Amino acid sequence: MLKKSADREHVLPMLEELGGVTEENVRTVSEKTGVPEAEIWGAGTFYTLLKGGPRVRVCNGLSCRVMGSDQLVADLKAKGKDVEEVSCLGQCDRAPAALDEALKVLDFAKQKRAITGDDAKLPINLAGKQSYDFSALKKARELGTDGILKQIEASGLQGRGGAGFPAHIKWKGVAGQKDPTRYVVCNADEAEPATFKDRETMLRRSDKMIEGMAIAALVVGAKDIYFYIRGEFNAEAAAVQEALKRAGDHVKDWNWHFHRGHGAYICGEETALLESMEGKRGMPRLKPPFPFEFGFRGKPTLVSNVETFACVPYIINEGGEKFKAWGKTEAGSKLYCISGHVNAPGVYELPLGSTLEELVAAAGGYMGNPMAFSPGGASSGFLPIEQRNLPLDFKGLQKAGSMLGSAGVVVLNDTVDMAKAAQWQLEFFEDESCGQCAPCRIGSRYLHNQVTKYLETGDPAALKHANDVGWEMEEGSICGLGMVAHKPLVDALKYFPQAFEKR
Amino acid sequence: MSETFLIKIDGKECTALQGETVLQVARREGIEIPTLCDDKRLDPAGACRACLVEIDGQRRLQPSCAWKAADGQNVKTHQSSDRVQRHQDVLVSLYMSDHKLDCEGLPIETGNGNDLRAWAKDCSTLKLDPVNAPRVARPGDKNPYIEFDPELCVLCARCTRYCDEVEAVNAITLTGRGSETTIGTAGMRGLLDTSCELCGGCIDTCPTGALIEKKAEKALPEEVTKVRTTCNYCGVGCQMDLNVKDDEVVRVTSPEPGTTVNDGNLCIKGRFAYDFIHHKDRFTEPMIRGEDGQLHATTWEKAIAFAAEGMKKVAQRHGPDGIGFVSSSRCTGEENYLMQKIARAAFKTGNIHQCSAT
Repeated sequence: MLKKSADREHVLPMLEELGGVTEENVRTVSEKTGVPEAEIWGAGTFYTLLKGGPRVRVCNGLSCRVMGSDQLVADLKAKGKDVEEVSCLGQCDRAPAALDEALKVLDFAKQKRAITGDDAKLPINLAGKQSYDFSALKKARELGTDGILKQIEASGLQGRGGAGFPAHIKWKGVAGQKDPTRYVVCNADEAEPATFKDRETMLRRSDKMIEGMAIAALVVGAKDIYFYIRGEFNAEAAAVQEALKRAGDHVKDWNWHFHRGHGAYICGEETALLESMEGKRGMPRLKPPFPFEFGFRGKPTLVSNVETFACVPYIINEGGEKFKAWGKTEAGSKLYCISGHVNAPGVYELPLGSTLEELVAAAGGYMGNPMAFSPGGASSGFLPIEQRNLPLDFKGLQKAGSMLGSAGVVVLNDTVDMAKAAQWQLEFFEDESCGQCAPCRIGSRYLHNQVTKYLETGDPAALKHANDVGWEMEEGSICGLGMVAHKPLVDALKYFPQAFEKR
Repeated sequence: MSETFLIKIDGKECTALQGETVLQVARREGIEIPTLCDDKRLDPAGACRACLVEIDGQRRLQPSCAWKAADGQNVKTHQSSDRVQRHQDVLVSLYMSDHKLDCEGLPIETGNGNDLRAWAKDCSTLKLDPVNAPRVARPGDKNPYIEFDPELCVLCARCTRYCDEVEAVNAITLTGRGSETTIGTAGMRGLLDTSCELCGGCIDTCPTGALIEKKAEKALPEEVTKVRTTCNYCGVGCQMDLNVKDDEVVRVTSPEPGTTVNDGNLCIKGRFAYDFIHHKDRFTEPMIRGEDGQLHATTWEKAIAFAAEGMKKVAQRHGPDGIGFVSSSRCTGEENYLMQKIARAAFKTGNIHQCSAT
């Protein structure tokens, strides 16, 4: 049910400011906003960052697990720290990652992280110097809506958040709506395990992202532009604020707003993100209608990923064809994140369609004897290392039964128990399922329970129905999370059957 | 006149009205599609996934409760699609792994029925290990009427949406996340300490009997006979069904939404205040207090004549304004009209009042 109320949108930030969800805080917020107490309680209890109480957070994502996060938790607890194990913190290149009580990153890194070096020719060029001449925006104004759209279409730019949807279709979709009120939203709620490219982009190239957003707003006719930045990303949010200040008059035509995440992976899903912006539980909406026609406050909304926006200035300045030519199997360059058993985890800007071999070469080579990899976050399941020469792109990986997703690549060497790896990933999905639909809510818990049972008893019978349940999760779930949550286990069963024999 | 067009469901041509959902068309045509989260009083949620169907041109199965019928659309339900049948089989199995089962392995039925049970009987289910979801109730909730058993809850959110969309009371909410999600209140307080008006609509809309009436006898739906009557607590004329077992009213339920003036809704009085029916202190015939100070049974004719005589005497002794009339909110508009007629025309006084006018 659409509920429009400006006050409702303040509910979550107010709770956060007051220190989290307590009966008293909920009453205070209700009195100030007029939103019923139960709704505030319901929304607040959805988000882990609103639980309140200072503690150290240790990441239990796959890359951190293989770099010893369990040991780190034990060590911190032994020192008397109040420790909470949390879903991937997006610091996989600092594995095992942890945040202190004030959400500042603690450094326990076991590897030396890196990024692609400065190269002015690169479309995003993370290591390059920021530039605030906003020449692309100026050129975009000259090109006009049709001219810009032509370049975006020619560039072949696909959404970098995970779905790989052609950008120009989305832009056109919003621009063509009857309703004159439209919004642009930047999805910076980066939380897919093993993904940290948006983090680096915000820290290093907010200039490009902001310029891209302004160009998008020009095309779709939006006056209000929103950021939705992951709650744990304080430094990143500050970097964006600073960049916006430096952009100054170039972007004064728009009202820029900040929303912060409150600790829920699912809010990276665009409709859950919109619900969260509206002050509600981050439960994905049914689609259709899609956000381009019915988005924030029910208005046409362009929701795109940080990296997608950051590609836009290059496309306008250099032309769509030139961007497209960067790609190998699909258009453009791509920020690949890599972590796990490699020597130099980090973000590397490579041609889209590069292989794991090429990516690992950029990242200093394998650590140990590689056995498996996960090409696009937890959602992409696992592939055997024999597929190391598969182009890492949207269509090819989908054909291979996996996905590029957010390009969060994790390499696992032969010291890893694949059943254990599947259990870790399923723990993540069970924790992060929104709980709205049964296939995902019950299915992810069921699979997590069963693989745990297998690990405890060594009896493969525990996994007898895993494929059926996985099939139903994919067919029956509302959103993309539920559809892929079975993959870590089902893929591991398929490619690594020896890891699930009687033991 | 709305525009009509044809769609095909399982090969059968069906007439659809502009704006109708596939589920609405199917139901009218007698094509059965299971649902849990659907209630025609509420916006479609598409959350229970029971009603998913195949729609031509759609890669994914779509919820028929929310999917609008369109001219020429071709729809397949479990009757004609193995994919939809398999989806239902595994989905029901998942629900059952998260549900209290009886000794036959079927979802338990309470006095409030359980739609999951009938659906499970129609499917080839898998025997999945119980998932033991950490879903909690509200222990210590002292409200006298509404009881929640989280082990029978399927999180369809009909109760919370009903409380919000129909009653606009917002006492209950989905709370927590993932497998911990449950039905809660602010601070997980008892309902008496919330905005709850104890209308019991949440019980009425619950499809699996996770919500039941605390004090009602636990008679199963098939053990009772429903007797339709009009609620006499006020003049609205809500229709309600007395659930009768062995000549005794064991609970009150509301008729199917959309069929009566109250659209399936009742208030706290209509739904829960039926204890008087069989109460030992209830008057079941007119009585007159005699010279001996005791009440004596009589006929209506005598009782009315006695009352009229008494009132006339007061009016004679003290004048018309020596008497006043207070009508009841339990009366209908017509009855209230007659009451003022007696006051003004028969007794010539303006002293007429009605309790709900205060």
